[in-house]
Amino acid sequence: MDGKVGRGVALHFAPSNVPINFAVSFTSSLLAGNINIVRLSSKAFEQVDIVVDCMKKTFRDGFRDMEQYLILLRYEHDDAVTRYLSSLCDVRIIWGGNRTIETVRAAKLPPRAIEMAFADRHSVALMNSDAVIRADIKKLAAGFYTDTYYMDQNACSSPRIVIWFGGRVDEAKALFWNEVERLVETDYDFRDIQAIDKLNQLCLLGASGKEARMVSWDNRVMRIEVSCLDTGLMDYKLGGGYFFEYTADNLNELVPILGKSCQTLSHYGMDAHELQHFVTDSGLRGCDRIVPVGKTMDLTFKWDGFDMIETMSRYVYCPDYIMKQILDAPAE
Amino acid sequence: MIEDFYNHGVYSLSRSEKDRLITGELVALTEHHRENCAAYAGMLKTLNYDADRVMHASDIPFIPVRLFKELELMSIPRESVFKTMTSSGTTNQAVSRIYVDRETAMMQQKVLIRILGDFLGKQRLPILVIDSPAVMKDRIQFSARGAAIIGLQVMAREMVFVLNEDMSLDEAALMRFLEKYGHTKFLIFGFTFMVWQHLYEAVQQNGRGYDLSAGWLMTGGGWKKLISDSVTQEEFRRRMTETFGIIHFLDHYGMVEQTGCIYAECECHHLHASIFSDVFVRRPDDFSLCGNGEAGILQTVSVLPHSYPGHSLLTEDRGIILGEDDCPCGRKGKYIQILGRIQSAELRGCSDTYAEMLK
Repeated sequence: MDGKVGRGVALHFAPSNVPINFAVSFTSSLLAGNINIVRLSSKAFEQVDIVVDCMKKTFRDGFRDMEQYLILLRYEHDDAVTRYLSSLCDVRIIWGGNRTIETVRAAKLPPRAIEMAFADRHSVALMNSDAVIRADIKKLAAGFYTDTYYMDQNACSSPRIVIWFGGRVDEAKALFWNEVERLVETDYDFRDIQAIDKLNQLCLLGASGKEARMVSWDNRVMRIEVSCLDTGLMDYKLGGGYFFEYTADNLNELVPILGKSCQTLSHYGMDAHELQHFVTDSGLRGCDRIVPVGKTMDLTFKWDGFDMIETMSRYVYCPDYIMKQILDAPAE
Repeated sequence: MIEDFYNHGVYSLSRSEKDRLITGELVALTEHHRENCAAYAGMLKTLNYDADRVMHASDIPFIPVRLFKELELMSIPRESVFKTMTSSGTTNQAVSRIYVDRETAMMQQKVLIRILGDFLGKQRLPILVIDSPAVMKDRIQFSARGAAIIGLQVMAREMVFVLNEDMSLDEAALMRFLEKYGHTKFLIFGFTFMVWQHLYEAVQQNGRGYDLSAGWLMTGGGWKKLISDSVTQEEFRRRMTETFGIIHFLDHYGMVEQTGCIYAECECHHLHASIFSDVFVRRPDDFSLCGNGEAGILQTVSVLPHSYPGHSLLTEDRGIILGEDDCPCGRKGKYIQILGRIQSAELRGCSDTYAEMLK
């Protein structure tokens, strides 16, 4: 026994636009040993139904005991319900970004309860141009497509900016984007309004006085080259295939965009451990995750800087020496 | 210079003549706004604008009309703002704010009169307004409805509002108007859904008959609300003829961001661009130009906006160019059809889950 048990009741607010996320949330919490109340998005998702059917089957097939640990529910926005559920819980998990967090936080938690809130984040892709030129470009572009377009580039882990390193940047860019454009043309469902959204965002960026130029022709893959990285750049991010681009000589140039709201560094042709050391040794407030290009959507129990299972656990602390004292104590 | 335009008939220029005239003016306007509106200058830089590469009006950069909801864009000192016009945004939506100085206001007025004059003649007409006088109350901040009515005021012999503040029909006012003007040419003006709801449907209910057959019915504001009630434009016209005897229709497309330059409906039910403005239809994928008959996103250019950088705008409307210089009505220039508002998208992603229910 390592002396870990659940904290008690975990209350999850699942996001509305990443359907499978609720399962990751309650699974990690079940593994920690908690009772779970999950508020599902009111939007209907096929993925949610599939998971729910699986769970029902599992319970039926000999895990009837587990059923009492999981309550899935839907309710329309109602402060009173949120307040009531929050008053019951020991762990509250809020997915869904800053506005959701703000709304849910209006409901108080009991004194001992803890909270994990998954706020709006942005992510960054790092590309070694020399490696990109040698790469299986179709595979690389497909991985990048999964990182971005698969979730309309709106997942926290989807890169909003591509940083290029190495000596053959122009060549690598041409090769890479050409392949991404081909993929987007066949696979992505681009909606008319997105063209306007992107132009609008680009104009807002220009109006702000930042040094940036559009370098693409295709509205489905809009690329904006920036000549310096500053902390405000990510205020002008957008989804649906809207990428900032920057060519860097060294990692230190990236510091302004690796603040608290930076989540995932995805990389191609870079040394992951070197990146990890850079993050921990530079005193950066952001970057919780370093994964290869194509893997940013892989949900794991280590997320947003949390080890989720550990965080949702309660430790029953009992160091060996105390045990020893007890064992060694003379019998009365 | 805008004076060059006044020497021509409103619909008198064919394609190449018009392009030459309007392109020069738009390049000058782009430069004017670049010099006088820092935010706009920043946008031009981001969009890689190079005046030397402009060959046609369609080469002028365009900015989304939505920007006027998000930024205060003006090319004049604040103290020169003569009036601020706002779009009639629906609830929950930000409104556009358009800053107009005396010069721009005058041009808007002048051009509107010229365009309407081409359809209605030069004489001042009595105008029956299907709205309540309350819409005019705030003279500093005009809504789109108020702005349209104000625009008509200078060409009115007399203007009579026939709705009460609660949007019920002021029958006495209507009767008085018809007694006085019912047998001469007059103008009826109202937003499409208001004409339908507060005139047509009200009259259906009270069962009275009114003879409006000498009137020209000028409508605006789009057809979205009626079409969602399954009333097409043809159906609307048919009922107006049946109920009121109206046979002259003058619908128009316009926006508060380019006031004055309306796209007015001819006898063939086509909406026409005057020499003061032009329209392009663009493909969403790369903003390339659509061919005639091909639907896309509407871009409108106008030579009137001097006080704010609204001379080339990407709208959020879909439309089609039906033809150019060859409408049977004889008017030169492009004629278009409006297909309605572009749908907003529901995107995937992590954000906005619980809070969305607050809307």
